Amino acid sequence: MNVKHLAGVALVACLVASCATSTNESDETSDSGDSEGPVTLRFNSLAFQEPTIEASKAIVDAWNAEHPDIQVEYVQGSWDSVHDQLVTQLQTGKAPDIIHDESADISGFARQGYLADLSPYLSDEVKDAVPEGVWDAVTVDDKVIAAPTLLQSYMVFANTDLLQQAGVDIPAGETWAWDDFQAAAAKATTDDTYGVAWGLAEPTATVTSLGMNFGATFFDGEGDDADITVGDPELALPARIHEMTYDDQSIDPTSLTLSGSDALPGFLHGKYAMTVQGSYVAQQLVQDAPEDFHWAVLPPLSAESAAQAANPQTLSVPAESPHVEEAAEFIDYFMAAQNLAKVAEGDWLIPASSEASDAVAADTGGDNGWNEILNSGEYLTKAPFQSVTNYPQWDDQIATPALQKYFADEISLDELQAELTDGWADVSGG
Amino acid sequence: MNATRAEIARPDRQAGRSRSGPTPPDGQDAQSRRKGPRRRRNEALPLLLPALLPVALFSMFPLVQGIYLGFTDSRAGLDQVTHFTGLENYRDLLDNGLFWESFRIGLVWAFSVTILQFVASLGLALLLNQDLRLRWLARTLALVPWAMPPVVIAIMWRMMFNPNSGPINSWVRGLGFSGDFNLLGDFNTALPAVIVVGVWVGMPQTTITLLAGLQSMDSSMHEAAEVDGAGALRRLVHVTLPSLRPIIAAITSLDFIWNFNQFALVYVLTRGGPGGETMLPMLFSYNEAFRYGHYGMAAAMGNVMVLIIVAMLFFYLRNRLRENA
Amino acid sequence: MSVRAHPTRTRSLQYVALAGYLIFLGFPLLWMLSTAFKSSQELADITPRLIPSDPILDNFGDAIDRADLVHAGANSLQVALATTVLVIAMTLPAAYGLARYKTWLRPVTLSWILIGQVFPVILVAIPLFLILDQFSLTDSLVGLTIVHAVYALPFGLWMLQGYITAIPRDVEEAGAVDGAGRLRILVSIILPLLRPGVVATALFTFIASWNEFFFALVLIQDPDKYTLPRTLVRFVGASDQVQLGPLAAGALLATLPSLVFFLLIQRRLTAGLLSGAVKG
Repeated sequence: MNVKHLAGVALVACLVASCATSTNESDETSDSGDSEGPVTLRFNSLAFQEPTIEASKAIVDAWNAEHPDIQVEYVQGSWDSVHDQLVTQLQTGKAPDIIHDESADISGFARQGYLADLSPYLSDEVKDAVPEGVWDAVTVDDKVIAAPTLLQSYMVFANTDLLQQAGVDIPAGETWAWDDFQAAAAKATTDDTYGVAWGLAEPTATVTSLGMNFGATFFDGEGDDADITVGDPELALPARIHEMTYDDQSIDPTSLTLSGSDALPGFLHGKYAMTVQGSYVAQQLVQDAPEDFHWAVLPPLSAESAAQAANPQTLSVPAESPHVEEAAEFIDYFMAAQNLAKVAEGDWLIPASSEASDAVAADTGGDNGWNEILNSGEYLTKAPFQSVTNYPQWDDQIATPALQKYFADEISLDELQAELTDGWADVSGG
Repeated sequence: MNATRAEIARPDRQAGRSRSGPTPPDGQDAQSRRKGPRRRRNEALPLLLPALLPVALFSMFPLVQGIYLGFTDSRAGLDQVTHFTGLENYRDLLDNGLFWESFRIGLVWAFSVTILQFVASLGLALLLNQDLRLRWLARTLALVPWAMPPVVIAIMWRMMFNPNSGPINSWVRGLGFSGDFNLLGDFNTALPAVIVVGVWVGMPQTTITLLAGLQSMDSSMHEAAEVDGAGALRRLVHVTLPSLRPIIAAITSLDFIWNFNQFALVYVLTRGGPGGETMLPMLFSYNEAFRYGHYGMAAAMGNVMVLIIVAMLFFYLRNRLRENA
Repeated sequence: MSVRAHPTRTRSLQYVALAGYLIFLGFPLLWMLSTAFKSSQELADITPRLIPSDPILDNFGDAIDRADLVHAGANSLQVALATTVLVIAMTLPAAYGLARYKTWLRPVTLSWILIGQVFPVILVAIPLFLILDQFSLTDSLVGLTIVHAVYALPFGLWMLQGYITAIPRDVEEAGAVDGAGRLRILVSIILPLLRPGVVATALFTFIASWNEFFFALVLIQDPDKYTLPRTLVRFVGASDQVQLGPLAAGALLATLPSLVFFLLIQRRLTAGLLSGAVKG
């Protein structure tokens, strides 16, 4: 039958086509441990700002020039999609040799066993330059599963004109007490301006991190065996924010529903005297602030201490990579003071290495808030929640909705406590 | 499903016949009875093979695997061993309040968007069917939402809803609401706001489908009704809509499925917030699989969703088309 | 359509309604256009302005350079065209088979179409990836094309099958009576009648492939092979930082080809093209 022949031909054509293409594909996959010829490593970089991308590429080029036998290929990734990509790539063994991520995210993969231990391969120089607290943030089951590169802290940015008008002295000490911050915010609130804009659309990260100022730990234990305690230290920060919003009326309640970057335009145009943001926002201020806008970064906030969670950007190597040692060598090179400094400057982030930090200070002269930002780095340390397996689920399903409701004044502090504690039982039990 | 196909109306232009009422059931059954089905059955296979083979391999096989995962304890992790656990996931799901909450939100969302989409698209289709000027512009703009990747659409609407730099807040204030507000961040307005975007996204396919239906309808019916003195609204309800019934049934079912399964839109607009108010089921199972690594449980959620939606559609289509018989 | 002219009042109301629709459908696009010309400083302003106070062209250059838009567009075009051709080629015979023959495959195929649409696609991502890996088709545009084709197939099949069902058998019978062989009937009688259906199916398939994001994200790692939607997300950074200007510019450029395409075919959006679209 004619039709049968047609169908048969089509079928064979399809099979032949797919065979032909698949043989072509195999030539393109990165080579896998040939003893002859150079080793090529894929480096998936998430550099976002222009200067950072250039700085990262420059590091790769410099490395390639010095190491003809170990070539690194720069691949541009994006923050938005890195998690999904890693899920599929790690599950199927197709991950890049050098993974760029952040510790909150990568720790999950580390606990699933996907990452290589880098401690045998990192140089002493690099190890000594980074504080213990930060190393802890990238250590899982006693294995160093990533090199911490850049960090951010939550800082108060102030419109100095508005503060001066309100009669508030611009703080200049090492740290700034929470009580003073609260007082300043109240003083700076007038009929047309709020004291503070705080973008808490995703509240959990801020509450667990900045909460360390008040001694909040939230979790006890590691991995799958963790218990939660939501006591006075843990509730102190949410309560303080609630107080400032609904009692003092110095925080704009609408800003609480916005993301940090969405709350920024209002700050730039004089609607708010201060705003609490990630330190990297300084870059946007430099770029986008109107001509006559005068701003400053205020010293890190402190109650019991000025501690905040260290959530560094990370460079890791998959356990299944055939070139763990070479990849780790590149990572070590990336962490060198001058290299890391250039990348940090591009993204306006704090380098994890103190030597790099000094280099940035020298380069920028400490201007535009760099001094305060770099100094805040010394208070960053690992938080207990970072080694808890079910934390992301608790964050998404329990903490975020509960905190959003609390900040919208829909539930009371006691209800918040109950939801956070009971919710953990649901999440970790199942 | 066989009955569905057979009963849906067909255009009669090609046959050059005109009818005065809804077309009777498919003549195909009558024809094949004449031809004798048994002789033809085997001939269908080679025609279907070129399509079936890649589909079986790349679509059915992963799908079956995906469904199977719902009966295991599959998790993310190097060297994880997967065990068959039978109905355990489903027993756990019964207790998972958040899942059912998300399912409820999914239903509210899907019904709202589908119905609003239908009404809006019907209006637009009726307008496009008229002899108005600038039809070329209208028809092109009607397709605009289709031209953009959902991710881009979501970012664009988020820009519009931005309390500081977006125009929507200014308009709402113009309507008389004062003060500061964030439509996407407020517990009461987040879902409605996202529903508006959902309607916007789905209008193209519904509009052109309804438009095609309208244009292939017989004008003789309309004229007869007009001569009888029926006003525009009565014509719409008693002549137009009934003839379109099979098309309406088909496109609303499809829209419902697509809307229920919407993911990219809410992910970018609200991440399922605030407080889970816009957490659609697809987003929920995505988190379960990709954020927490619980593949087995996520697949179980998928299976439950399929069962319930298919059951709903079965009853919907059975009733709709029974009326048409 | 009514032969009698409508009274003017109804006409004006209709124009008002139409204008309302056009604003609803077109305004977001207009806003994106406006955003594409704004500098990041102006985007940080709190007064929304439709017309940029200080328009710049940099965003477009930025988008084209940084996101490699032209190259990504070429990739998207390749994949979408190949997908469309594949889908038409596979569904034509299959739709004919389903429409004309009473086979047990019919309810099976139709049920699978339904289930496939309802089951969360994201959950098949990993099994699919593993299968593609077997054939070394991961990280390749060919692999992506096959996946797009396979996932666009059900809907295309349903559409084409409806169109074929709409063609009465008498037409084929007439051809057979005239002595033409089966193949000749198919090619010279059925195909021409099917052209509108094929065009409609091609349209749906092309757009679905052009806009597809999730598989492009998960299956493609080499930036050289990124498709348009995939490359545009590079303007979205961590913690909700978005580079709105270049993103809007890039999105606009990515949308233009589809818009031009729509403008060209909108004239054909008449009964001939779409009748039978969802019939059967």
